[in-house]
Amino acid sequence: MLTEGVMTFLNQAAAEARTDLPDRDSSLFLSGVLDSFTLVDFVTLLESECNIKIDDADLRPENFDTIARVEAFVTRMRGIECAAT
Amino acid sequence: MCCYITGYGAALPDRVVTNAELAPLLGVTPDWIEAHSGIGERRWVEAHRATSDLAVAAVRDALNDADRSAEQIDYLIGCTLSPDYQVPGVAPIVQRKLDGCRNIPAIDLRAGCSAILYSLQLARSLIESESAHTVVCFGAEAQSKGLDLQPRSAELSMLFGDGAGAVVVSNESKLNDKARGYPLRIDDILIETDGRFAEDLIVRAPGTANGARWLDEEHLAAGLHYGSMEGRSVILQAVRKIADAAVCITERNGISLDEIDVVIPHQANANLLRSLAKKLSISEERVVSNLERFGNTSSASAFLALWQARREHRLHAGSYALILAFAAGFTWGSALCRVCND
Repeated sequence: MLTEGVMTFLNQAAAEARTDLPDRDSSLFLSGVLDSFTLVDFVTLLESECNIKIDDADLRPENFDTIARVEAFVTRMRGIECAAT
Repeated sequence: MCCYITGYGAALPDRVVTNAELAPLLGVTPDWIEAHSGIGERRWVEAHRATSDLAVAAVRDALNDADRSAEQIDYLIGCTLSPDYQVPGVAPIVQRKLDGCRNIPAIDLRAGCSAILYSLQLARSLIESESAHTVVCFGAEAQSKGLDLQPRSAELSMLFGDGAGAVVVSNESKLNDKARGYPLRIDDILIETDGRFAEDLIVRAPGTANGARWLDEEHLAAGLHYGSMEGRSVILQAVRKIADAAVCITERNGISLDEIDVVIPHQANANLLRSLAKKLSISEERVVSNLERFGNTSSASAFLALWQARREHRLHAGSYALILAFAAGFTWGSALCRVCND
């Protein structure tokens, strides 16, 4: 599950894009919730809210395309960070 | 030994292409282009004009600004993604067209939108090693001639404009009486590359990675001679890497970003400029932008922004200027400069 702060961001982005937040397996890009501007803010928020550091190699749009993918990505990043510590 | 930018020049085609003219070709609306790029119009060259024509005009303008003649150029560095010919490069063509220019070295640097940083670093090295006293760098594009003007390429083709910018780089901080303005000392340059993303912003053909021929009918049918871009990857990487370059170069020179008076970025698109300003907590008033009028002019972009800063009297004595760029490759970096009053 994503944090309340992340979900609030996505809901606000959907409202600003005048669309509904898509289901967890549908594209945030194609729905218009995340565009190139909000995507940058979204990634910054993910790092701070979820306490993860995203390497350049993982900074790929496909990791943020759906809510399910974001959840899986955050879980994987947290696993890497836990393993590192 | 220090080196200085002592002259600034620009050249822009007369023809203005508005969003209203471009939008029907790309299957979008003028408002969509404005909203997704921040671009209101761009300039495109006429059919009979080439990149070198724009470059020559910009170089002459820069020489005039520095009160220098073509005879005094020791080294010419040209940057473009849209050369007159595949071979030779554009720099020898510009050397030929510059009346009075001696048989100096004239080379092309294919650094895309990071052109200004790569060319300034080379110019600086040449001057500091005393291989040259006066170096001219230019970025010039006539890339409208290579755009895919179809809906499938709307997100890319809406961006680009034509134009040229040039600077005179010299070891002399004292300008002649006729020169206008103050010299801009180049204090530091940081440039980096991450080739893992080479295919995210690319024109594949002509190219030797395309099979037996570097350009054939299949390549043309597949549109490999047009640019393609993974836009989301570009902006994610660009904002992070440019911001890191800005922080790194200021920190290693012992100043803070708050002390930067003018930020001169590559004019990619409005989203990138806004995201960058936000990430660096820099007010947009400090960021030079000509995107709305000229679009993304690739190699010429930051040269034109620098020329604009000079023209708008934003380079005051003692002020710091930070040049930032990001390009296909990916390449990126920053240059820290200070306006001299000594």
